Amino acid sequence: MLTRRHLLRLANGFLGTAVGGLWAADGRLPAALLPGTPRAKSVIYLFMCGGVSHIDTFDPKDNKFAGTMMDAIGFGDNNAPMKRPVIPILRTFKRYGQSGIPVSDWFPNIGGVIDDFAVVRSMYCHQTNHFPAVIEHCTGKPLRQFEHPSLGSWVTYALGSANKNLPSFVNIGRPSSPVQLTGGYLGARYSATPFQPGDTPIPNLVPPATATSAERDRQMQALTELNAQFRAEYALDSEIAARVQAYELAGNLMRTAPAIVDFEKEPGHVKALYGIGEKETDDFGRQLLLARRLVENGVRFIQLCHAGGGNGAWDAHGDMETHAPLCRAVDKPIAGLIQDLKQRGLLDDTLVVFTSEFGRTPWSQNTTGRDHNGKGFSTLLAGGGVKGGVIEGATDEVGYKAVDRPHYISDLQATILQQMGLNYKKMDFNTNGRAFHLIEEGTGPIQAILR
Amino acid sequence: MAVQHKAKGLQPNGPAGKLTLLRRATFDLTGLPPTTAEQDAFLADNSPDAFKKLIDRLLSNEQHGVRYARHWLDVLRYADMDGTDGGVMPANGSIYRWRDWMIQALNEDLPYDQFVRAQLLGNRYGGRPTLTVFGTRSKPEAVPQDQFALGFLSRAALTGNDRDQDIAIQAVETVSSAFMGMTVACAKCHDHRFDPIKQSDYYAMKALFDPLVLRRVPLATPQEIYSYGKALEAYRRQKEPVDQAIEKLIAPFHDKLYAERVSMLPPDVRAIVLKPERKRTEAEQKTADDYFPVLRIDPPKLKEIMPADVVKAYDALLKQQREIKAPPGLDAHIIVEEDSARLQQPTYILTSGDPTKPEKDKVVAPGFPFQPADTDFRYGRREGFVDWLTDKENPLFARVAVNRVWQWHFGEGLQKSPSDFGLLGGRPSHPQLLDYLASEFTRHNFSMKWLHKFVMTSAAYQMSSLPNAANQKIDPANASLWRFRLQRLEAEPLWDAILSSAGELDLTIGGKSFQIVKTDSKQSIFLPKDGTFEAKKNRRAAYMTRGYIPSTEVMAHFLQSFDVDDGRTPCPVRTQTITAPQALFSMNDPLIEEATAKLAARAQKAGDLPAGVQLAYRETIGRPPSATELDRALSYVGGDPAKLKGLAWLLYNLDEFLFVP
Repeated sequence: MLTRRHLLRLANGFLGTAVGGLWAADGRLPAALLPGTPRAKSVIYLFMCGGVSHIDTFDPKDNKFAGTMMDAIGFGDNNAPMKRPVIPILRTFKRYGQSGIPVSDWFPNIGGVIDDFAVVRSMYCHQTNHFPAVIEHCTGKPLRQFEHPSLGSWVTYALGSANKNLPSFVNIGRPSSPVQLTGGYLGARYSATPFQPGDTPIPNLVPPATATSAERDRQMQALTELNAQFRAEYALDSEIAARVQAYELAGNLMRTAPAIVDFEKEPGHVKALYGIGEKETDDFGRQLLLARRLVENGVRFIQLCHAGGGNGAWDAHGDMETHAPLCRAVDKPIAGLIQDLKQRGLLDDTLVVFTSEFGRTPWSQNTTGRDHNGKGFSTLLAGGGVKGGVIEGATDEVGYKAVDRPHYISDLQATILQQMGLNYKKMDFNTNGRAFHLIEEGTGPIQAILR
Repeated sequence: MAVQHKAKGLQPNGPAGKLTLLRRATFDLTGLPPTTAEQDAFLADNSPDAFKKLIDRLLSNEQHGVRYARHWLDVLRYADMDGTDGGVMPANGSIYRWRDWMIQALNEDLPYDQFVRAQLLGNRYGGRPTLTVFGTRSKPEAVPQDQFALGFLSRAALTGNDRDQDIAIQAVETVSSAFMGMTVACAKCHDHRFDPIKQSDYYAMKALFDPLVLRRVPLATPQEIYSYGKALEAYRRQKEPVDQAIEKLIAPFHDKLYAERVSMLPPDVRAIVLKPERKRTEAEQKTADDYFPVLRIDPPKLKEIMPADVVKAYDALLKQQREIKAPPGLDAHIIVEEDSARLQQPTYILTSGDPTKPEKDKVVAPGFPFQPADTDFRYGRREGFVDWLTDKENPLFARVAVNRVWQWHFGEGLQKSPSDFGLLGGRPSHPQLLDYLASEFTRHNFSMKWLHKFVMTSAAYQMSSLPNAANQKIDPANASLWRFRLQRLEAEPLWDAILSSAGELDLTIGGKSFQIVKTDSKQSIFLPKDGTFEAKKNRRAAYMTRGYIPSTEVMAHFLQSFDVDDGRTPCPVRTQTITAPQALFSMNDPLIEEATAKLAARAQKAGDLPAGVQLAYRETIGRPPSATELDRALSYVGGDPAKLKGLAWLLYNLDEFLFVP
């Protein structure tokens, strides 16, 4: 009998054939591992598609500028400089917790757990439109000149998987761009596995209704016997070894994955924490509960895309009020997730990130909404060795541009990688005759928010 | 090859069995499994040239073009859909005609030089004028269908005006990698670090294609053109009064909001906007256009300031306006042509390849790497280039092509990186063989069918694929070709094999692509307009939609999990993964569930149960079961014909179904 290690060795050596399971079992960048125990085992990456207005949520500004005209650059093709009116912030802010961090009335529940969060108010990126900015956000490159992989793929590539029965990088919810899921030049096996809503998170996970399990057992027995001669003849072929492995993994998935999405046994009070059963929060609450269960099962990178598809529903050009139902949909579930992780002792080694591709401008385009703003926006982090109750950096007094300790989006990625025990400087991949890194810009991990 | 075997102490494999060869060659040339009747016929033919006759038969099967077009389309980055933020491929409704052109071209054995010329020029005979019988010079007349081959170039544009210069940029990158075996893409931003290709070479080549713009070619009879024109005029006449009524109703409200917005503009812009259009300079017009999003006033804004009764009247009119539908447009194909104004514009080096950052001090003349001094551009830029490219004296042209064909037969090229014959691509494993094939291919007038037959009738192609420990130790990667490679079926032949054994495969040639993904209807602006997808889902997978748009999935999970690329970039080699999602597909996909029922029904009609098992085996893995296998299969069935469906499932999950020995 061939051992698993032997199979992998066989699998890697031949004909340049990419042989793998649904995910990589072993990390490919041992040189990038930092000494000591990593602070975070898993990441829950909450991505709000379309751009959350930072000044209406976590970065309050004085309304004294409302009504004044600002020099503005338009979005999309419309790059002519023009004057645009600053519109008032209609939210009320309250200081929460011991830290007294102000949070707007759109996020009262997150306010309740704000002492667990670090609020980085000085994020920036280069792109000003959704798809390019989303791609920049997940690949760390303002231009997609090569098939750059996304952050979750790099993590999987570097660390491998902690549970061989599950993928290591999972996406939940419709993304803004397929690039958020891509393994790019690292290879398809490092791509995110999209988990679908409902009880079949992965396509073809459940046998057709006509197949009884007793019959399937008989079939699998017969299949092994009917394959026997061919497998003996081609035992030296790595593909056949990989094929045996693929069926094993598929079987494991069929056994384990449905149980993970089955919330039957979750107690009512836990579901209530996530807002499951309430109309506005049920959807996102279920996704976050699933994320927690994936964390418990060793999935390393869980990306949740909220309100994706097209530009993303957070794209509030017309009216800021369109943010209100979206905030209600995510506020309670996110606070519930933090509390739930905490009560289970999981928050210490689970890094939770709340972000979007960019923020929104202080001015409007002659509407009651706000335009895209890559020059300054807020990102929140909790758990995984992050100091709670702190504010990092600042935008200017109107909330347009990150001015105090600005952080390029790569700094967020560097922070995540460091907390997961990775030296981002040593994470590279050779293709097209050169070495590519995920992070090629910025100032490195945001040490001020780390314990 | 034999020299290498001897030198390394390798004992090459003997020929594979007849049914193995039949299955190998049939999948190879047509992408389909051999039917039971084809198995009988081949077994019955004991003549020494039986295999040659088989190859002739397969090459004359029109399904051959479908199979090999798919290979070429991977290299030439065919996609049914493509898009970016704010752009969608204008050719998305007509691009399939390029695919169909290619199927026909391969079936007709269009010589390779003509195959390439047609796709670059829309004329297989090139652009150099020849002397007519009257002693005058004129360009050779194009074969009409060659305009469909221009889909190769028009596919690149993602906006109607090709704002991002994708036609020229993609032409450089695809043509150089596909036909010249050179990776010039890195020279877009800097001189190539390894091969002698300068940044200026890249832009010189770009200049060959810079004059190209998109053009719609209506595909309609005069009668259809008249009918459409009539319907369009009727539509306009019906709509006009409603438009006017709306205009009149909203005028006071619109003017008020418009005046407010204009007053907020910077004074210089305000002055421009207030000028009548015909008095604006070109620069002023652009400024005014830039401000369009600011000045546009949508119905909701108007309604905010309208009294309730006016809103009601307005809504009624809007409803009326929506109900008047424009007639469906005429069918058209999108080609490229040279624009005379663009021909006058210089080509600049672009900083980082960004079309908005031309380096005005760096003008580049049309040209290409390794350009001979006497290149003749008199009859056009592309014409001069294509003349050189497809010349019999150009050694790279044939070498790159034969290496691809070799790769499609053997699973791996003699040169491992078929689109990079440069320093990074590595050395070919059998350089003399490659040179020999290239010169013979050229001598046989670039006949691809000749090449297929020549390669397939070699001993190397007919070797058994069985591994053995002794050879494996010396040459585990089979670099010296001591055996044939065990091949995993690609997505398309796999799909076709399932439907074929179920007796359900529709073999119609060509036509629109079909779609098995449910796309997000909110993203419909990115998708081809109604009726662009073929309704039938049991067609060959070569016609299954592939492509990419940013906001919704358009490619079947099936294709992705079996390693099909989305067609945004050339794919010279498909990776061959073996993964758990593939196993889940074979076990649980609805397609398999339906196919098992259909195959079982066919097996039941074969006679008794042993006959049924025989048929099912032969239809799926192309051979009858051995005595042991028949026993085991029958013991599974246990005398119950209803169990034949379960048996069919077993066969679809056999390793031998997915792998072709």
